[in-house]
Amino acid sequence: MLGLLGEQGSDFAHKVDYAHDVVTIISVVCTVLIVGVMLYFAVIYRQRNGKDHETPAIEGNNTLEVIWTVFPTLVCIWVAWLGYDSFVDLRTPPANAMEVNVTGRKWAWDFQYSNGKKTTSELVVPVGEPVKLIMTSRDVLHSFFVPVMRTKMDVIPGRYTQEWFRPIKTGDFQVFCTEYCGNEHSKMMARLKVLPRAEFERWLADDSEAKKLAAMKPSDMGKQLYVAKSCNTCHSLDGSPKVGPSWLKLYNRQGTLTNGQSYVADHNYIKESILNPSAKIVSGYSAGMMPSYDGQISDVEIESIIEFIKTVDGSQKIEPEVTLPKRQDAGASAASPADRGKALFQDSANACSGCHSIDGSRMSGPSFKGLWGRKEKLADGTEVSVDAAYIKESIWKPQAKVVAGYPPIMPGIYEGKLSEENINDIIEYIKTLQ
Amino acid sequence: MSAHASTAHGNDEVNYLNWKTGIWSWLTSTDHKRICFLYLFAIMIFFIGGGIAALIMRTELAFAGPTIIKDPHLYNILFTMHGVFMIFLFVVPGIPATLGNFLIPLMIGAKDVAFPRLNLFSFYVYVIGALIGGYAMLNPVDTGWTFYAPYSTTTNTSVSLMVFAAFVLGFSSILTGLNFIVTIHQLRAPGMTWMRLPVFVWASYATAVIQTVATPVVGMTLLLVIAERAFGAGIFDPTKGGDPVLMEHLFWFYSHPVVYIMVLPAFGVVGEIIPVFSRKPLFGYKMVVISSMAIAAVGFIVWAHHMFVAGISDFSAKFFSIVTFLVAIPTAVKVFNWVSTMYKGSISFKTPMLYAMAFVFLFMVAGTTGIYLAMLGVDVYYHDTYFVVAHFHYTIQGGAVIGLIAALHFWFPKMTGKIYSERMARIAFAFLFFGFNLTFIPQFILGMDGMPRRYYDYPVQYQTLHTISTIGAYLNGFGYTFALVNLLWTAKFGKVKAPRNPYNSTSLEWQTASPPVHENFETTPVVDHDPYNYGTHSHA
Repeated sequence: MLGLLGEQGSDFAHKVDYAHDVVTIISVVCTVLIVGVMLYFAVIYRQRNGKDHETPAIEGNNTLEVIWTVFPTLVCIWVAWLGYDSFVDLRTPPANAMEVNVTGRKWAWDFQYSNGKKTTSELVVPVGEPVKLIMTSRDVLHSFFVPVMRTKMDVIPGRYTQEWFRPIKTGDFQVFCTEYCGNEHSKMMARLKVLPRAEFERWLADDSEAKKLAAMKPSDMGKQLYVAKSCNTCHSLDGSPKVGPSWLKLYNRQGTLTNGQSYVADHNYIKESILNPSAKIVSGYSAGMMPSYDGQISDVEIESIIEFIKTVDGSQKIEPEVTLPKRQDAGASAASPADRGKALFQDSANACSGCHSIDGSRMSGPSFKGLWGRKEKLADGTEVSVDAAYIKESIWKPQAKVVAGYPPIMPGIYEGKLSEENINDIIEYIKTLQ
Repeated sequence: MSAHASTAHGNDEVNYLNWKTGIWSWLTSTDHKRICFLYLFAIMIFFIGGGIAALIMRTELAFAGPTIIKDPHLYNILFTMHGVFMIFLFVVPGIPATLGNFLIPLMIGAKDVAFPRLNLFSFYVYVIGALIGGYAMLNPVDTGWTFYAPYSTTTNTSVSLMVFAAFVLGFSSILTGLNFIVTIHQLRAPGMTWMRLPVFVWASYATAVIQTVATPVVGMTLLLVIAERAFGAGIFDPTKGGDPVLMEHLFWFYSHPVVYIMVLPAFGVVGEIIPVFSRKPLFGYKMVVISSMAIAAVGFIVWAHHMFVAGISDFSAKFFSIVTFLVAIPTAVKVFNWVSTMYKGSISFKTPMLYAMAFVFLFMVAGTTGIYLAMLGVDVYYHDTYFVVAHFHYTIQGGAVIGLIAALHFWFPKMTGKIYSERMARIAFAFLFFGFNLTFIPQFILGMDGMPRRYYDYPVQYQTLHTISTIGAYLNGFGYTFALVNLLWTAKFGKVKAPRNPYNSTSLEWQTASPPVHENFETTPVVDHDPYNYGTHSHA
């Protein structure tokens, strides 16, 4: 009726909205009537010329008291029924609902499908079919809120809660965490992606990313995990302190813990810190900020991350392949800007190709195919057309404009690593990918 | 008292303000009227502190992205500070400890409360609680005023101290409540029957009952949080067989009734103001009294409506939804009776009446938006969004705080013996009322759009409404500053002396001097009429 709650994404949304609209109309009418009567009395019975006029000593009226006790009671019964009725649907998932396991942790959402496929910060579901989320938390309370679906449920450590919905339209929708959970609470969002059935099946069966990860050399895999496990939310690569210590030159670093003891960041220390983060807290940082990854991460993954950490070293940032002069040598003097851009794109030190495809397929970041001049919808709802300034900004300051539907996971490591000239070359290369 | 004979000059009269002088005579006074002022100054410190925290947050939220606060942790500290200061240190003691203290003995014709020294002791318990809370701010808490586990049991900030402060403050509240209950039972003047008690006294009585019954529960809960942090007790820790949702139950078992501790006295204030300025008896006095007691009683069995999406069973959710609607009925009855009191009245629009009429509007908004949140399916959507924030502020700021400001204006002549500038007070009222609505109406719309609460940053689509809300917050803050400065200035420098009964009221507190003498009445009053003895009976 009134459409006050915005877009409806689930089949029970209209029922919630109906209840909402009925109570809105009742509320507005009652408020206007009562305040109207009050103002009417105020005007017609106002004191005149600063003198009181005679007033009747009316002390009450039992009939009126009965009427205005019974009438609100009846309205309340009706409205309570409407709220109840919409709630029953919302809490009763069909038996054939597809189940997805959801884990909330500071500060990201992990999803796991029945075939073992895992995603982070992106829940992909087919349109028209009921989806049941089986949810638990790794650390503190969270709450999984999908506004267009009109549903929400707290996510609690040590037990499972559930919510469900049947999407009635395809598209990308916002998921919020709505139970306060600490520093990055307002960034703990996810994207709900509703796909046509066939496209969803393809997506679900696609294990190329997992295979690619398995085939990688350990340090590259660690680099992927750095993002995939959300390490990057709290640990920088450039030495700047965030919620946790930076990984720059972390390996074999020595320092002091909050309890005054010293530590050496060797294999054992790093592994312990991943599995039992509160065991040793570096001086200047807080305990309890990092969730334990025990049971969430394999030994192979931990070793890959350690291999990656070894490479995060200020003195190594002058990797021969990365620096501009070498790049020009390697790219051969005759190479066109687009060729040089292609070489930069393929260079494993930049790892653009880890997240951006050139054939239009979807990876962690938007594909470069057809990117130039494309209109992109951003996570904040605005639109941007892809030009040189946008690409440059997106490389140097990746979080500035994140495209809707993609997690904000691109590391901000390219400023100072890729020059303006490098970027122009990459742009020329992107232009060729039409 | 007769030791100081009154002279011919009115300004040399002996009253409770000047019968003893010096700061020490105030700090050790057991006079309920002086203790009212001790509380007033103390709670105003936290009102200002909590208000500044709110304005800093609103400034940060005016535009999307980090602006004046660079660190989300600081933002989290600010909303915790705002909540803890406003709830535990300002609004809960708010009307009961200040005006309740000042008015209950005067309204029932007593010399003081039943236990004057206990009264002073509760004030110092409050001060100790406030000091512990202030000390805890050295490593400020970031849990929100709700202290939900396991966040509160694992965060590295000084939760234990802050929670202990709230525990101590609870005792101040319990002692004050006990004192009022005994006072109202035992110290009523001859002829002051229960059905002749002003509705403010009834509201304070209902409040005092909630204070004494519910507060111990939050005390226990807060001790359990400390036990959890200090000894790893495991009551809220699932790895040890505990349950974080239990903490929510215990917390809301107190913190829902506490909403009525805040707002019932404000109902009482409005029930006093409207008859005086309408020159009419309060319509349906008995129903107003019964509804206060009904709200206090039902308030105890609705707590889990804060937890519809907290993982409680669907059956519990349905039960708590239905009982929550029971609160709506006595509340509606009150509003109908207030408005009916104005019927055929002789209405004058002094500042207290403006606040009382504003209260009726604000409370209609608070009440009707509360209906949305009692409705199960709708609450699932609105839970923990800005809609709840706006609803809550209409209830507590629009209700309890506006009630306190209205009361301070209404009884100001009695408390200080001075008359404030009506013009200044009305200008302040205009800013306050307009600014308040401008702050929170956009927040209802933000809630409709799904904006979650306790967010340091937000997607840019919400920005316009946030900007408007921030502008409103500044106007609202200006209104409060203006109103309070006007009253403070008048109290200190005001020249216009108040007569005994400037509003020609028929209730007892106006029948003694302004300001009253040390023990309230020159002679013990004998009551022979109702508190709202206005108008003429058509068939005499």
